Amino acid sequence: MKSIEIRHLKKYYGAIKAVDDISFSVSEGEFFAFLGVNGAGKSTTISVLCGRQEKTDGQIWIGGKEQSDEMKRILGVVFQDSVLDKSLTVRENLACRAALYGIGGEMFTRRLSELTETLSLGDILKRPVGKLSGGQRRRVDLARALVHSPRILILDEPTTGLDPNTRRQVWSVVHALRKSQHITVFLTTHYMEEAADADHVVILDGGKIKADDTPLNLKNRYAFDAITLYHVGEKALQNLSVPYERAGEGWRIRVENTAQATELIVKNPQLFSDYEVTKGGMDEVFLAVTGKRAEAL
Amino acid sequence: MKCFWALVGRNCKVFFKDKGVFLPSLISPLILLFLFIAFLGNVYRDSIRSVVAGFEISEGLVESIASGWLVSSLISVCAVTIAFTAGTVMVQDRVTGARDDFLVSPVSSGTLSLSYFVSTYIVTATMCFFALGAGFIYMVAVGWHLSFAEFVLTVADTLLLVLFGTALSSLVCGFLKSQGAVTAVEATVSAAYGFLCGAYMPLSQLTEWLKNILMFFPGTYGTGLMHLHLMGGAIDAMAEEGIPPAMIAGMKEGFDCTLQFFSSEVPVWTCYAVLAGAGAIVLGLCIVFNLKRKRKE
Repeated sequence: MKSIEIRHLKKYYGAIKAVDDISFSVSEGEFFAFLGVNGAGKSTTISVLCGRQEKTDGQIWIGGKEQSDEMKRILGVVFQDSVLDKSLTVRENLACRAALYGIGGEMFTRRLSELTETLSLGDILKRPVGKLSGGQRRRVDLARALVHSPRILILDEPTTGLDPNTRRQVWSVVHALRKSQHITVFLTTHYMEEAADADHVVILDGGKIKADDTPLNLKNRYAFDAITLYHVGEKALQNLSVPYERAGEGWRIRVENTAQATELIVKNPQLFSDYEVTKGGMDEVFLAVTGKRAEAL
Repeated sequence: MKCFWALVGRNCKVFFKDKGVFLPSLISPLILLFLFIAFLGNVYRDSIRSVVAGFEISEGLVESIASGWLVSSLISVCAVTIAFTAGTVMVQDRVTGARDDFLVSPVSSGTLSLSYFVSTYIVTATMCFFALGAGFIYMVAVGWHLSFAEFVLTVADTLLLVLFGTALSSLVCGFLKSQGAVTAVEATVSAAYGFLCGAYMPLSQLTEWLKNILMFFPGTYGTGLMHLHLMGGAIDAMAEEGIPPAMIAGMKEGFDCTLQFFSSEVPVWTCYAVLAGAGAIVLGLCIVFNLKRKRKE
């Protein structure tokens, strides 16, 4: 079953085509990544998906039903920047947000204790959000997004600006949630390694979809594999008739795919005593698909 | 309904917990009252004595009339300036993204806007009644001449003025998108409103053309009502000290207890109608602009 289905979605601001006729779907329980440079149309798509903005044209189905205000009950959103009230405590923030979904009294107390356990909020419930560290605040943002037990969790660049440790914490919580609650995760990110972990990736550029597949298929189609070879002279490499470049203390040989790597190794066993084979990354996929370097993101 | 009141409660909490906004709003009416008494008290006392020149009038009565003028001016100004300060919650939510967080829940933008309006009204009314309480303490200390009916009407006038201030603030704040813009508007309103509504200077002392222009401003009618109900009793009490009725009527006109619109006296019911009507029109404009903004999105 499809969690989200978008068909021919368009969002225009006058002459500007922020989102221009895109179609894709996200399966239930899937970890979906939406990749694109700033201004590619990711946030606009999410805004329309969440009902914050009206679409110009197209259809959106959420949980098998056409998009409506009621559909918002099955969506939980974590924004790029924390949007909770800094002067209010974690508990006050969550109580207010829960009330927006009609959750109060006993029901809220029960849900709060579940979230406290899942996200380790016990020590910070009575503290104002403004006084929390970046990692603690992100956990509270996740708690807010999950307060009404949504089936789809939308993460809008959730780790931008966070240190590596906090990023790891956020992802371990998200992956644990996926495992325990089977929720669908819809991610937009600037980090290629985060997209590489997804089940399904859509690359957006200039409001249009440029690629839509699994990370493995995208890498196979758009990226090259590489063999890094150590303790070998350049002369020996010249005889292989393949492109190569210096890589630290060794040499990186570019190969079309794993089969070509295997063939090369089998044919020249005397050269391959110390080596490693690596698959092409999402950086290369992104560059090949959009013509834009990942660093520019 | 539960969700609406949760939003109202949250908006009020955010205002009262933001010490940088709440404390200045609480203290500024007291500072204004002190400044009124310290710098303008003697000006009004002399002005009252000059009106009844040639007649003996007790100092207690002079103090009572002057205090009525000062307190009524204070409340007339606070009802609008505090409403603009309370309106910052709405602008702040736009800046921080909290508004987006509310709109991804099943709350409609109409419910959200109404919650801002009601919370601004509650906050402004609370602060104004605090200022009115302080004013009443001062009036009791110098000489109380208010009847029960005038007391009740003063409370009603305050509520109506707060409604007008809230509508005006909601309309203006609806267009503001940054904290800097709010500060600029607040500063302008604080500096100009007292003069525009006849709180700092009786309209009778202005040139005819300026007086007529200010009579087109609805806030003037609210200030007139406050003057009438907080000073009227004390001015009427002058009769007991042998002041002729014509002089009492002149005093009421001179201190804006009765307003003149192009040389015709404005009945009290007209003042109420103008203030309530203006509030309703401004509120209507708020709704129209909200709908326009929503359509634009």
